[in-house]
Amino acid sequence: MKRKFQRNALILLTPVLVSTLLLAAWETWVRVRDVKEYLLPAPSAILAALLDDPGRFAEGARLSLQAAIGGLLLASLGAFILAVAMAHSRALERALYPPALALKVTPIVAVAPLFTIWFGFGLAPKVLIAAMITFFPMLVNSVVGLRSVDPRAHDFLRTINASTWQIFWRLRVPSSLPFVFAGLRISVPLSLIGAVVAEFLSGSEGIGQLILIANGDFDTPVLFGAIFVLAAMGILLTASVALVERKVLFWYQSAVSL
Amino acid sequence: MTNTSRDSDVPPEPVVEVRHLTHRYPVGNETVGALTGVDLTVNDGEFVAVIGPSGCGKTTLLSIIAGLLSPTGGQVSVFGSDTRAARRSQALGLVTQDPGLLPWLDVASNVLLTLDITGPHDGADEYVTELLERVGISRFARYYPGQLSGGMRQRVALARALVHHPRLLLMDEPFGALDEISREEMRFELLKVWEQEQMSVVFVTHSIREAVLLADRVVVLTGQPGRVKDVIEIDLDRPRTASLEDDPRYQSLLADVRGLLVSETDRSDLVHAIPGTRR
Repeated sequence: MKRKFQRNALILLTPVLVSTLLLAAWETWVRVRDVKEYLLPAPSAILAALLDDPGRFAEGARLSLQAAIGGLLLASLGAFILAVAMAHSRALERALYPPALALKVTPIVAVAPLFTIWFGFGLAPKVLIAAMITFFPMLVNSVVGLRSVDPRAHDFLRTINASTWQIFWRLRVPSSLPFVFAGLRISVPLSLIGAVVAEFLSGSEGIGQLILIANGDFDTPVLFGAIFVLAAMGILLTASVALVERKVLFWYQSAVSL
Repeated sequence: MTNTSRDSDVPPEPVVEVRHLTHRYPVGNETVGALTGVDLTVNDGEFVAVIGPSGCGKTTLLSIIAGLLSPTGGQVSVFGSDTRAARRSQALGLVTQDPGLLPWLDVASNVLLTLDITGPHDGADEYVTELLERVGISRFARYYPGQLSGGMRQRVALARALVHHPRLLLMDEPFGALDEISREEMRFELLKVWEQEQMSVVFVTHSIREAVLLADRVVVLTGQPGRVKDVIEIDLDRPRTASLEDDPRYQSLLADVRGLLVSETDRSDLVHAIPGTRR
């Protein structure tokens, strides 16, 4: 019991220690070499910038997260529905794959301004861009997942004359979940990229806009503050997905932590 | 020939009737024969074992009877109708070597899933409890398949395949992946369940001992493509117990089946050994 506690403490302690050391080295480097703040601010200066107006960062984070999560949910749902059709018929898969692929290979920055023209400066274009960037990985993983049915379980259900519908809900959907979660893990950072890129290009409020303004002002501490906030958002989202995954996929061998 | 009533001296309709069954699988642009001209009859309440070398189409035969696969030739009737209609009657049970339990459902839910699909029958709840007890997994009702040993999983598969009172149980090397001790246990437990349930069983196996121990009749198939080489009646008393090992009749039946299989292997080895020989 005690040993287990010690091991857990150690698991927690080492990353904290390493991060602290890195920050300390950074701080020392900036102070000793007297690095200009607009080039590289010290961690203490970044912290000061964050604490100077925490509400601004919090509001930006909230808006960007909203767009990222909204886009991710929209893409996951849309991709899954399309994946059901594609997993059902090879012909449909062949027909739908090229446009899906075209969507994937088109650089998002090229399409984003168009979304602003169509949907204005609010939440809608941001959600759609985040959805667009996460759609393909969700689609591919859902199709593979829906096809990854244990043939023995399938045979058994057919032997007792389960309907296609019953097989879909009882077997196909649960079997697809490990792949759907793998897709989510890939898509979480992408959704943040989508939200921030949308804010860059449309200038609508959020962390992306914060970065844009700080960049224009040569306010590097705020810029770094925004980057740290973005990193924290990424960690938060990834950890949330991992948490849900561990609850939902308790039965799956390689349901991993982070 | 015009008797309208079903007299006791009229033999009951067989549960499975296979006539001149042929099946070929497509492989690239060609087809490979899995079964050719197979005849098989399973009567009501009968336990029939099917044995043969690897690749003799045993599993294909079972899939066809289960209505999972349409044969390329011949007739198959189950419960007096075609296999699709037989499947629709929801009176089939299937147990395979790798049982394909649903890993996200616990033991009890895996068994109940069958009833969710076939619809509950009278006294279903008590029957599930009784069945879990009977196959020795009642203590594990809340466990998940991933937490069970292979033998335990196979017991769950058996319960899942029996809970809706099937008339025909299809088993494809169900104990093939188990250790010797679990296998022995499962064989006798299967016999007990079969005697209580009065159903018919088609049991595909690699094991001569298993076939003779369990079955009323052993159907010996030849290798690729599978044909029926011989059918051996196993007229040993029931219930069968472990003491059969000392029974000279059992030993001689084992030898008979082994003889059929060995001569089969020799023949195919011979064919392979002579250059230019074609089957």
